[in-house]
Amino acid sequence: MRISSTQIFNNLLAGIHQQQQLQDLGNAKIASGTRFQTPAQAGLDYKVSLDIRHAQSSVKGSLDAIRTAENRLTLSQTMLSDMDNVMKRAQALAVQHANGGLSANQRASAAVEVDHLITRFLNDANQQWQGQSLFAGTAVDKPAFVQDPATGVVTYNGNAQDRIVAITTTEQLVTNVRGDRTEFTDAFNALKGLSDALKINDVAGVQTAVGTLSTAADGMINVTTDVGGKLSALKFYKTSFQDMKYQLDKRLAAHEAVDIPAVVAQLSQSKIALQAAYGQINQIKSLSLVNFLR
Amino acid sequence: MLFDALNIGATSLKANQKAIDVVSHNIANVNTPGYSKQTSNLVTARPDQINGLNLGRGVSLQSIQRSIDPLINNAQINNASQLAYWTQQNSGLNAVENVFGSLQSTGLSAAFNDFFLAWQHLANSPQDGAQRVNVQSKAAVIVANLTNMNSQISKAQLAADSQIDQNITNANTLLDQIGVLSQEIQRQESAAKGAAGLANDLRDQRDQAVRDLAKIIPVQSIGTANGTFILQSTSGDLLSQDGVSQHLARGNVGAGGFADVVIQGSGVSIANASTGGNIGGLIDLRDNKLGNYLKQMDSIANNLIFATNQLHANGTGASGKTTLTAGQASNTALALNDPAQAAPFAAKVQAGSFRIHTYDATGAAVPAGGTLINITATSTMTSVATSINAVPNITATVDASGRLTISAAAGTTFRLSDDTSNMLAAYEINTFFHGSSSSNIQLSSDVLNDANAINTGKVNPTTSIASLGDNSTATAILGLQDLALSVDGTAAASLHQRTSSLATQYGTDVAVSKQQLDYRTAESQSLSSQRQAISGVNVDEELISMIKYQRAYEASSKIISTTNQMLNSLMGLIR
Repeated sequence: MRISSTQIFNNLLAGIHQQQQLQDLGNAKIASGTRFQTPAQAGLDYKVSLDIRHAQSSVKGSLDAIRTAENRLTLSQTMLSDMDNVMKRAQALAVQHANGGLSANQRASAAVEVDHLITRFLNDANQQWQGQSLFAGTAVDKPAFVQDPATGVVTYNGNAQDRIVAITTTEQLVTNVRGDRTEFTDAFNALKGLSDALKINDVAGVQTAVGTLSTAADGMINVTTDVGGKLSALKFYKTSFQDMKYQLDKRLAAHEAVDIPAVVAQLSQSKIALQAAYGQINQIKSLSLVNFLR
Repeated sequence: MLFDALNIGATSLKANQKAIDVVSHNIANVNTPGYSKQTSNLVTARPDQINGLNLGRGVSLQSIQRSIDPLINNAQINNASQLAYWTQQNSGLNAVENVFGSLQSTGLSAAFNDFFLAWQHLANSPQDGAQRVNVQSKAAVIVANLTNMNSQISKAQLAADSQIDQNITNANTLLDQIGVLSQEIQRQESAAKGAAGLANDLRDQRDQAVRDLAKIIPVQSIGTANGTFILQSTSGDLLSQDGVSQHLARGNVGAGGFADVVIQGSGVSIANASTGGNIGGLIDLRDNKLGNYLKQMDSIANNLIFATNQLHANGTGASGKTTLTAGQASNTALALNDPAQAAPFAAKVQAGSFRIHTYDATGAAVPAGGTLINITATSTMTSVATSINAVPNITATVDASGRLTISAAAGTTFRLSDDTSNMLAAYEINTFFHGSSSSNIQLSSDVLNDANAINTGKVNPTTSIASLGDNSTATAILGLQDLALSVDGTAAASLHQRTSSLATQYGTDVAVSKQQLDYRTAESQSLSSQRQAISGVNVDEELISMIKYQRAYEASSKIISTTNQMLNSLMGLIR
């Protein structure tokens, strides 16, 4: 093929452009540490990145949600454990004062302690976390229980709606114990029954209270156990999402990360080609008949 | 007879001198774009027949020919169109690259992830004011992203359209130039007659002008038997004939809001204008690529706005409302879902109802369960206002623009729920977003001004009680994240799928344009090499030709001086 003078330079120039582009691309990859940066560089790969990041964001939301649920349930469990303690102490007092040998004064003194226990139980049941009642359902701005000052009867003040935590867009968990469960009513009634019996020195009433307190305490233990079960289930969720997070992080890194040795090798190759092209241009300018005609 | 030798020597001097002129011309134009190497065609002069002998009379320059290959020339014209087309596409697409984000900041996709994450946090702590502010700010980011993307793509569309005007001006200049060159070529060649008189340089200039024109619009040239030059668009529209050129112009504004490219005067659109050249690349970029991105962005915004508003309008926030004003106006003479209504989602209104719950100063519902407001096929905004006005302690008015305002009596509040008619969402009452597309999406003024206007729960339809910890609305909105939506009739897809598809579509468009650009660039280089192989000037070749002609010139000079000596010798015999 016949070669024109211009063509020799044009071919070398095209080669130089190509090598410079390779240099630029390689430098960008090394600087960013990724195979690509924009959808323009790798449309489908970029989509995969978006999908992984979307999944990462969802997993982050799920882990945050699990933390919220854990906090809410753990605090509920703490309060319920304290309520269990209250019930145990009340049971002990009931057994102690069911003995017909004790005096009315001794029972009156015990009644004072039982009233304190009722107050403590009520405070536990009205416990708030971040300003929200734990046992009032979704009526978080209200105390879960209110006590009639005249009669001392405690009634549920919340609503019948559970507090739901959205773990994912489709998966939801109940993260509360509602105070309208019969176990709470039974416990309050049992405590009040003991207090009333002690105040009027009703030995038979105290003896009856031993039984009702025992049943109510068992009920509260069951409630506490339910919460413990939910917390255990949450741990499984947490482990599963943490594993998912790890896998996604790993997948994203593998998907986006640049193979630096390969890029460096390509850059070196391109550098040699570029230097050769520069040298060739210098050579060619002296390779002309013009230089030999005198 | 010695004079014959002198004459023969003289023809040689003349012919070789002209040949050296041609060589000089070639060397002078070694770097001239479009120049074709010229070759002297030396022929022997017509011989004399004397006494039965054919005696040569020397040499003459019969013609100067340019070295061209019409096939390569046509291929270059086609390549010029395609190369310019894909160059425009590629550079136009790269110019809007930042719109689609990068791994450092994935733009709209990240904004959606953050938006729904914020809703998840709010759903899980609905009483937390900070989470409401977070949702408000993340929604503002989505609004900013969509409107910025829309603005940048729209600007790129306008820039492409403006470049089309510039290209039309350039094309018209080239068409004029081609016309003038054709006239000059015709004049020179008809004066000279035959191949000897080909206007090589003018033809080169015209070929170059045609190639330059092909970079703007796809053209084809037709050479006729009588030497007439006809230039057409590839769809057959006549652009230049016999030195008379027609100009390009902009036609009437079409459906896309942009004017066609037409033949000036006729108003006829150039059918294949979008298949090649700068103009084709710009039209395709403007209408199909950028236009498609805008459609997809509008679809994303449309689905997001209505789907969110549908849920939000049925929800309730931290406290009851004292007043609510519709974000969309209505024509009170028309039914709410009449296609002539200006509200973008008016067609979504259907027969159904919604509830309005009123609360006294203590927050107690009066009456429990609220009041049902029915929407029928013939309901107008005025009739809805009349129905609402029948609710105790509530006043509904429709202003001059047809906007509904619901107000509670002093000291009382109200809440809305259970809208099965879509009326609240369509007319933006108690909604989260305002607008319908990526160009006009905004936060509703209520949400924009007060994060507490964000609804997280729902009113109990029986008791009218709204609980602070209820997260049913927030959870439902969170559920939109991966829900396949088709509010606008497009194929059902989640917002994430739509967003990632948009980025992928863009990436694929860039990849195709780059692949085509690389291919056409390689083709251009190959054709250029092929043309150079035939038409290019090789300085070494020319120098050798120069030496050849110089030697012939020197030899002819020797013949003349020898003949002169011979004449002197002859004259010496006479003396």
